[in-house]
Amino acid sequence: MNFIQVAATILLVLGGFFYFAGTVGLLRFPDVHSRLHALTKADNLGLGLVCLAMALLGGSWRGAAMLLVIWLLGLLAASVSCHLVAQAALEPAAEPPTPRGDP
Amino acid sequence: MSQAAIYVMAAAAVIGAGVYGLLVAGHLLRKLLAINLLGSGVFLLLVALAGRSGGAPDPVPQALVITGIVVAVSMTAFALALLDRLFRETGQARMDVADDDD
Amino acid sequence: MSLALDGLLAISLVVLALQVVTGASLFRSIVMFVVFGLVMALVWARLRAPNLALAEAAIGAGVSGALLMLGYRRLRAAGPEATRPGPRSSRLAAPLSLLVAGLVASLGWTALGLPEALGAAGAAVVAAMPSQAVANPVTAVLLVFRGYDTLLELAVLLVALAGARAVEGPAGPADLAIPTMTGLPIVGALLAALVPLSVLVAGYLLHAGGNAPGGAFQGGAVLAAAGVLLVLTGRLVPHPVPGPVERWGAVLGLLVFSALGLVMLARGQGMLSMPGAWSIYLVESAMLVSIATTLVLLLGAAPGLRRGPLP
Repeated sequence: MNFIQVAATILLVLGGFFYFAGTVGLLRFPDVHSRLHALTKADNLGLGLVCLAMALLGGSWRGAAMLLVIWLLGLLAASVSCHLVAQAALEPAAEPPTPRGDP
Repeated sequence: MSQAAIYVMAAAAVIGAGVYGLLVAGHLLRKLLAINLLGSGVFLLLVALAGRSGGAPDPVPQALVITGIVVAVSMTAFALALLDRLFRETGQARMDVADDDD
Repeated sequence: MSLALDGLLAISLVVLALQVVTGASLFRSIVMFVVFGLVMALVWARLRAPNLALAEAAIGAGVSGALLMLGYRRLRAAGPEATRPGPRSSRLAAPLSLLVAGLVASLGWTALGLPEALGAAGAAVVAAMPSQAVANPVTAVLLVFRGYDTLLELAVLLVALAGARAVEGPAGPADLAIPTMTGLPIVGALLAALVPLSVLVAGYLLHAGGNAPGGAFQGGAVLAAAGVLLVLTGRLVPHPVPGPVERWGAVLGLLVFSALGLVMLARGQGMLSMPGAWSIYLVESAMLVSIATTLVLLLGAAPGLRRGPLP
């Protein structure tokens, strides 16, 4: 395996690790805001690393540019939805939130 | 176990889950989800069998499944409109055992 | 090694399907269904069906998910009791579903052993591809070889729209109250970035569908997703009277395709034959407009849509 493949493999493993960390945060943190914190930051960093790895493996500038656009779109969508969810969680609940496991 | 075999087994399991959900679900929205699962399982079966030879995939089942996906979403939208009307007319969106006539 | 990935995806599909039918709450079932759609898109990519992957991600997971969530929200607005699930006990359910799954598995296993030569239609399409105006075999099948299926599919979309309007009560559709948050400037910025980009991507998918994965359905679904975003953030509000855009948009695909087909019939070349690449792009463009309009109207659950109060 040459240098590019080794670098891409390392980046992919790191990206997977960040996704794993984000999921652990989602499952283990106590409330909405800290879960959002884990999800938005860790998952999007993981996405960036995976996109970088794909750009290295793809081997063309056009593909790399498209992957960069994908990452930026992912960031945009995640940050807006995170903001909206956090804002909604602050308002007095119109309907009581369903605790885990209850209908 | 080839790739096609794995997905054929998965399709069978998804179809089974859809049938189970259709029979067991009390809420109509969940029945609708089960019908969609049935559809997805059938599509998976079709396309998995299309590529079983490992060469160029057969384009005819793929085109049929694209058509199928659009028809499934049309059906879902219509079923939701029906559900909405039923709910507003009768006040509930469920089919419980007590409602059966037999 | 790649079979491990397929096995993982297959197991995820089955687990997600079981979560959909036995989820603790209705909300969880809907969310699991959307995730199921996304994993299906990955599976289509693994099965070398990129057209299907695009269509499933946009229509199956995206638009379907939005439709189901809005339906859930309308029910929920009447109170939490409306969305309480509760299984009806049925002793037949488990054995029956196992029987069906076993039947399908045995059918599939047998079909796996059949030689590929029995799929004569596919072989004929692949053999006829070099002489076609478009290089994407799925687009060719959809429009050139099996045009009737696509024509009738446009009719199905229209019938679903007409049916949804017919079933609506006299009181009109339940209105979706615009949440106060959608006036936030960040939402406006998101729309300003995403909606024009969606239009661009839809046009690209339509154009690329000739020679690469893409096509009218995928482009129409991306455009419908932009419309869904506009409806959800209050930029397009439901309105009891349909305007000309909604009316013409919904029927355009069917009209153009049928008109072309009849003109070809009148010229003696057979109904629905496509005289060249231009005809394919014309019909696909009309289809894109129709698909997008119909899906957004179905989502808005109202005969028409008007520009909302927010910028």
